[in-house]
Amino acid sequence: MHRRIVKLAFFCASLYVGPSTLQAQEFKLFDRTVQVHGYVSQGFVYTNDNNWLTMDTSSGSAAMTDMALNASSQITDKLRVGAQGFDRNLGQLGQYHPSWDWAVADYRFKSWFGMRGGKVKTVLGLYNDTQDEDFLRVFALLPQSVYPTDLRDATIAHVGGDIYGEISLKHKLGDLSYTVYAGHRGDSIYSGYPYYLSSFGSRITSFGGLQYGADVRWNTPLKRLLIGASRIDEDLTGRGVAINPFNPAAGLVPYSEASKSDWTNQFYAEYTVGKFRIDSEYRRYWRNQELFGGTSESFADVRGWYVSGAYRIRKRFQIGSYYSRYTITNVVSGALSIFYPPTTDAALPADHEYDKVITGRVDLNKFWSVKIEGHFMNGYGSGPYPNGFYTQVNPQGFKPDTNALVIKTGINF
Amino acid sequence: MKIRYPRIFLAAAGLIIFAPLTAFASDIKVIANPSLKVDTIPAAELKSVFLEQRNSLADGTHVEPVLEKSGPVHDAFLRQYLGRTEDDLRSYFQAMVFSGRGPMPKELRSDAEVVAYVAKTRGAIGYISAETSTEGVKTLTVVNTQDSAQRKLITRVEPDYPETLKRLSIGGTVRLQVTISPKGTVETVALLGGNPILSESAEAAVKRWIYTPGPSRTTLEVSISFDPHR
Repeated sequence: MHRRIVKLAFFCASLYVGPSTLQAQEFKLFDRTVQVHGYVSQGFVYTNDNNWLTMDTSSGSAAMTDMALNASSQITDKLRVGAQGFDRNLGQLGQYHPSWDWAVADYRFKSWFGMRGGKVKTVLGLYNDTQDEDFLRVFALLPQSVYPTDLRDATIAHVGGDIYGEISLKHKLGDLSYTVYAGHRGDSIYSGYPYYLSSFGSRITSFGGLQYGADVRWNTPLKRLLIGASRIDEDLTGRGVAINPFNPAAGLVPYSEASKSDWTNQFYAEYTVGKFRIDSEYRRYWRNQELFGGTSESFADVRGWYVSGAYRIRKRFQIGSYYSRYTITNVVSGALSIFYPPTTDAALPADHEYDKVITGRVDLNKFWSVKIEGHFMNGYGSGPYPNGFYTQVNPQGFKPDTNALVIKTGINF
Repeated sequence: MKIRYPRIFLAAAGLIIFAPLTAFASDIKVIANPSLKVDTIPAAELKSVFLEQRNSLADGTHVEPVLEKSGPVHDAFLRQYLGRTEDDLRSYFQAMVFSGRGPMPKELRSDAEVVAYVAKTRGAIGYISAETSTEGVKTLTVVNTQDSAQRKLITRVEPDYPETLKRLSIGGTVRLQVTISPKGTVETVALLGGNPILSESAEAAVKRWIYTPGPSRTTLEVSISFDPHR
């Protein structure tokens, strides 16, 4: 643990550079201005009991690093292109395998009609497309009931296209923004769900599929009150190998799972008044999938919501708090049902996570922030779909309560 | 020994310290590159331009917002026209930049830099303090459509259509910028465009119009048509 603290301190010291060196960079290429932006963040997490987010947090872990770099340029009045590379290491996830976070060509015909194509960040709720950029918010971790950081790959982007626009409503009814999209989602094999499946002896080689959906948000006539709703439907397939559950001695057999029905509905509201911001979201994720080539079927109902508030006390100091509530119920039918009895009592710690959070954020300058956050969790919602707690890093079993200290610092330009 | 400062001295010191930090909407000019065809811009449209929700005006003209990095004029503009603080706005643009939805707008250090950039950049639109010279750029009047919607016209005087012009089938539309006092009377009328031969008659008529009273002075655009066949 001592070495990790030293590593964190060294990282902080390395950030102590003059602000002038952190200005956004611009240069000319073929007479076009290219903007370059980026960020790096480093976290440290300590938990009193269960290991969290695939890290060895009960000993204190600094295996929480995110970084991104993007470049974009306005090619014509209406056409803009850009791309962002992203890399992360979160315990057993990411493992510093860089990926294209987004790479888009965006053509805006009118304010009410634009199109973007390529690898596009998926608009889902208030923060899905910006969930990695914690410097945009007070909190070090978004409410894990709605934005589980270990499962970011599940919703973060699609290769396909969006149609979007802004419409001013008549009769002083505010503005409406819409996004409609379709594309292919591809999860990294270093993401949370493949890691979760590895606890059953599976080794996933590919996971992804069609994703399509829409988001509508209404800037209401009440100043700074935003209300919105999002929906995603997905048709996903996972392939790999797994230990034969009926005869483990027989070794590995082909594994597959495929969506029969997979959708997410999300509703949200955000209100800002002066230095105070409050927001709340509700997400329901329903997944019905065939396992092992249709020999079994799984029905999972995942529900999460949170209410959060943040207040700017001084220009460089903010505080925040949220309450986040997550439940999961699951029924397996078919051959595998003998191994997985129904879990329908969301009151059990295995089927929920309730998290009370307090945070303080200090901006040391325009580019560098430090956050200290306390999580007081009940439940560990460990399956059949993961949410922060994994058996592989908790071989001793789970305890019902977990308190966590999260310290995060980062620079952006 | 206790030193007592007279209250008036403290008040004066406060004014000296804080006065330069505060600016009001009346101290701000919205400027644009002469390529923009408009002379007025509705406040709602101005807001959506500066929030990069649109990159063209209603008439299709391309626009590019230019911000100042900081200062009282910058703060006043954000407060008055965007309803956001500097920190809010920074987070807003960063969210766009890092999700691939838009660029960071151009930020310049001073009024002079904004004027110079706007003058040379097609479609550029910015803001400066009211005292700054606007050579090479045009000043846009920001029209608060919410206010103007509340100011109903209660007495309308029709303009005289000179008989000679009518007989010669000379007609058209005159566009005027009208400033209405809180009481409802027309304070000033400025010609924005249209047939100059007809403008004198239109201006004379509009000066006699009366609107419903409002909480403050309101500026709006009025179009008057002269149809020789009617």
